[in-house]
Amino acid sequence: MYFCTLHYAMNVKLKLLLPVLFLLFCNACKPEKTVRIIPVADFFKSLDKSLYSISPDGKKLSFVQVQGKKQNLFVEDLATGTTEQITKFEEKNIKYYFWVSNEELIYYKEKAGAERFSDIFIIDRNGDNERQLSNNGRSRMRVLKEKLIDEKYLLVSSNRRDSSVFDVYRLNVRNGKMDMAARNPGNIIDWFTDSKGNLRLATSSDGVNQTLWYREKENQPFKAVVTNNFKSTFKPLSISEQNPNIVYAISDVNRDKCALVEIDCNKGKESKVLFSNDTLNVVDAQYSSSKKKFSFVICETWKKEKFYLDSNAKKLYSKLDQLLPGTESRIIDRDIAENLYVVRTFTDRNPGSYYLYDVKKQNVRKLSDFNPVIKESEMNEMKPVTFKARDGLKIQGYLTLPQHRNPVNLPVVVLPHNGPGNRNIWEYNAEVKFLANRGYAVFQMNYRGSSGYGKNFMAAGFKQWGGKIQEDIHDGVKWLINEGVANPSKIAIYGTGFGGYIALNSLYSSPGMYVCGGSNSGVINLFSYLKSIPPFLTPNLQMYYEIIGNPVTEVDYMRQASPVFHADKIQVPVFIAQNPQDPRSNSGEAIQFVKELKKRNVEVTYLEKEYSEFSPQGEDVRQKLYTALEHFLSNNLSGK
Amino acid sequence: MHSEHYSGYRKNFSLILIFIVLISVLFILSLFLAYNFSKKFIENEFVSEKVKVLEESIKPYNEFFQNKVPEISYYNGYLDSATTAKFVDTILKTYPFVSKVVFYDLEVNNGPVRDGLNTGQFSLGPKLVYQFGDLVPMDSVKLFSRDETKKFNHRDDFNALGIKLISYVENLDTTKVPAQDELFTNFSNIRSNKITYLNIPRFEDLKIYKEMLRNKLHPSPVYQQDMLSFHMDPYKIRIINSRPLLYQNIRIEPLTYDPLNTSSEYIATEIALPGPFSDYKLYFISAKSFVDKEIRSYFIPISLVMLLFYSLLVLVAYLIFRNLNINHRMFKLQYDFVNNLTHEFKTPVSVIKIAGNNIKSAASLTERELKMYGKILDEEADKLNGLMNKLLAFTQIENNAIELNKDIVNMEDFIESTIESHTLKHPDFNVTYEVSGFSTFITDPVLLGSLFDNLAENAYKYSRPELKRLHITARLIKGKIVLRFTDQGIGIPAPEINHIFKKFYRIQNQYNQNGSVGLGLAFCKELVNYMSGEISVKSKVNKGTEFKIVLPYNN
Repeated sequence: MYFCTLHYAMNVKLKLLLPVLFLLFCNACKPEKTVRIIPVADFFKSLDKSLYSISPDGKKLSFVQVQGKKQNLFVEDLATGTTEQITKFEEKNIKYYFWVSNEELIYYKEKAGAERFSDIFIIDRNGDNERQLSNNGRSRMRVLKEKLIDEKYLLVSSNRRDSSVFDVYRLNVRNGKMDMAARNPGNIIDWFTDSKGNLRLATSSDGVNQTLWYREKENQPFKAVVTNNFKSTFKPLSISEQNPNIVYAISDVNRDKCALVEIDCNKGKESKVLFSNDTLNVVDAQYSSSKKKFSFVICETWKKEKFYLDSNAKKLYSKLDQLLPGTESRIIDRDIAENLYVVRTFTDRNPGSYYLYDVKKQNVRKLSDFNPVIKESEMNEMKPVTFKARDGLKIQGYLTLPQHRNPVNLPVVVLPHNGPGNRNIWEYNAEVKFLANRGYAVFQMNYRGSSGYGKNFMAAGFKQWGGKIQEDIHDGVKWLINEGVANPSKIAIYGTGFGGYIALNSLYSSPGMYVCGGSNSGVINLFSYLKSIPPFLTPNLQMYYEIIGNPVTEVDYMRQASPVFHADKIQVPVFIAQNPQDPRSNSGEAIQFVKELKKRNVEVTYLEKEYSEFSPQGEDVRQKLYTALEHFLSNNLSGK
Repeated sequence: MHSEHYSGYRKNFSLILIFIVLISVLFILSLFLAYNFSKKFIENEFVSEKVKVLEESIKPYNEFFQNKVPEISYYNGYLDSATTAKFVDTILKTYPFVSKVVFYDLEVNNGPVRDGLNTGQFSLGPKLVYQFGDLVPMDSVKLFSRDETKKFNHRDDFNALGIKLISYVENLDTTKVPAQDELFTNFSNIRSNKITYLNIPRFEDLKIYKEMLRNKLHPSPVYQQDMLSFHMDPYKIRIINSRPLLYQNIRIEPLTYDPLNTSSEYIATEIALPGPFSDYKLYFISAKSFVDKEIRSYFIPISLVMLLFYSLLVLVAYLIFRNLNINHRMFKLQYDFVNNLTHEFKTPVSVIKIAGNNIKSAASLTERELKMYGKILDEEADKLNGLMNKLLAFTQIENNAIELNKDIVNMEDFIESTIESHTLKHPDFNVTYEVSGFSTFITDPVLLGSLFDNLAENAYKYSRPELKRLHITARLIKGKIVLRFTDQGIGIPAPEINHIFKKFYRIQNQYNQNGSVGLGLAFCKELVNYMSGEISVKSKVNKGTEFKIVLPYNN
């Protein structure tokens, strides 16, 4: 898109531009401005203060603060300004927390040695009365409604009865007793409550089809409302308070792009479309429980945009835009009365800050910077680009160029995003900025199968991991070479998770295109990936078979598409990072893969990560990972 | 050579001889050692190189074992008969030593099974069993199916590895991720001519297996396992003889093979094969003569190099000997020269001394005596002066220290004045001449004079008293002046004729007992060279000698 505009401008305004061009040419004669190499540590710092939250009554502000190796929960009294530390941990392991009443908070603490397993604790806002709520080491527990009912009950889902299904329990936080609120017949995958905490909505799945279940009152049985194929998006948001039997949902049933709709649960049909557009994909909607209506929907094209459904909300947010000009803002949290908001700002060049927005006083207070050492002037833009794949499908992506460099013949790092069902978004992305700062053009693309471009685009990527998705990446890189931006002999590909999978796959399916490739926690074997789906997700297995491939009936395709079988076809240097503790990966396979590459004298950089870089302890891992990646890329992309 | 003992010059031929003898002995000794070394070396190689042959030959097996076999785990239990058939096809093609593959599609259950292993609540049983291989008949590909009534017969490998799996799961430490090699050993079984491999489940699955041993889980979990049993044929291992000149024959034999009839004509060695082939060995055998050939091919280059060194040494010795010889001759010539020169100086000096003594001891001298002594002193001084001039001129001319003084010379006048001065000195000297073709030419008259004087002097000196004759001719032939000095003297013996122009060379005869330094002709040659001419000689003993001088004609 950017290049088309540039080209157009040059044609039309050529005469006007000539003197300018001359000047530009003179500028080009001068040596390029040197770009300061920003240390890896600066890019991948952990936040000092994060996870801001406001108590329901709007009187307290809580946050998690890192002090050296410690990470603790703090509560600030907004009236007096005094801050109190309420947990006393020596390590970093608070993953998440929230207020359940004006007096109590619940936090998830990472279980030692077991990634993705957390213990749940409740604590008074002054740090007293800390109690562990989850007690069974084997089962998982999730809080369904982040609010205490009758000041003592918490609605949680847990698979303590059967590891593959989640039942709903009413957990008495005073004595830790759990009463089953709803027994899962075996296929329910999600539960929803209304604003009062009544369990009235559920979704079930047989693996391929998803059914919405509804009941008017808690003592009634659930009734099937509507059944949809998993290829359609149907995301219930909330149960209407004033209109009976109405459920709000984001749905693309019978349309390509998602819309915000009302479902009449008695009729089992869409009764009203609140927001819909043929080109815009609704990704989220903000419901105001105080005003009892939707404030806005968020649509995402190349970036997220708000579309207001309520004029009052529009006023509120335009005031916020006035107070925080030139930046994107997202609401992180708010109180019940909707007078106080925690706002997070950012642009593609600025990691942004946290603010506290007081609606009544019409002012903002800066809470902290996301990453104060990053200067906006040293960051380059993330430009949306579009190209056509060989079958004519329009693929969108982003290109971030290194600073102060002519966009000609640059070394490129292709950065396929993780998947399935993910996408690249327009944001400040430290990984992208880091690579751009090292002098590489960073090319991200939303290959088919990415979310956000409608259900057809999503479905086009099913079972195409070794096929059309790979072609999209190939075509994108070809396009970038034809545009003159990429130096065809200096292209690397790197990704995390399925991005790493795509990177490794590209090394053998597009031989000669990349000088090196890297995979971080990458999937290297689709069989193992499917095997690693935890038992509580087994109802979804059929769905995974549709998206990834069926290991029983499509062994050949799965084999062809799995890099682990093709170590003998990879000729260029490979970077592999993985966490052997990661239950989703089979670390032995990666090691066997590395061994085979080494036996063939392929240069391999292998990095073993102690933790996931996204865990609370991940800062060191991030530093190590990106330092190693920097060396790997500079060894293979410079020179030649 | 008679002067050796007093000259002080040492020339020890025996030393050189001893040197030659010593190096020859050394040469022969080292040849002998080199042969022994080669023999020992090749014999050692025969024993040690077998490891290399083994490594090379077993490489495909290692690749199969380390790369191909673990690939089964990549399928995570999802292998089916069609995929296995394809997998096995590539294996059979690439690794000829795999003769047959039996594929067990297994299922792990949390409850008892009819066919298979049951331990506690854990059971491992086959769903389907297939066999693949080149020699497997079409109708016996499927060996067992759970849904059919056929009995599960091929239990041997299944039981062995199944029991291994169960005991491993029983002792599994669920708190720490097992190492890759630990898993590999526990999920594979290597027996004689057979490798059985069970795909390695994920650690999470292994933990559940452990639980399944004790408890009945809800819902009852089912896991897929694939087991492949590779039947090997050691005789199909392609032997790579990396030393075909060392090992005449390498073959695979059972470990117990030990033939009695190995005569002394053959040497043999052996090495055991690894892993599933451990009941077999590589047997290396070569005829003695075959190994000898290898020894020779190893020894010959060594001996050639030694021979080269030896020849170099001999050549150096010869060169030293030749240098010694030349130096010896030079030394002798110089010694003679000093000897002669002393003689030459001695005569005038003794005459002067006698004349001086006479003058000193005489009371008075008459006019006639005075004149006589004066004449004697004058003549002898001239003689000395002449000698010294000659010596000086010669050194000068030899070192190119003089310059040519070109002048027009009238040939007839020049010859006549030469004859005049010589007949004045020697009235019995009969010199004739003739000049034709030219009358004058340009040259250095002083040098030319020296040349004429020397040659005329020689002609006089080396002629018998009654035949002191010289005929000089000067002709212009083909643009060059040709001068000939023909005498009827004693002549030069043929063997000496090549040496007469050499410095200090004198023919030993009665005519030059005194007054000869051996410089005259050498001096003449230098002069002619200096005037860009050539000098040559023809002579017959007792008939006469003719010197021919060719000079460039510049007019």
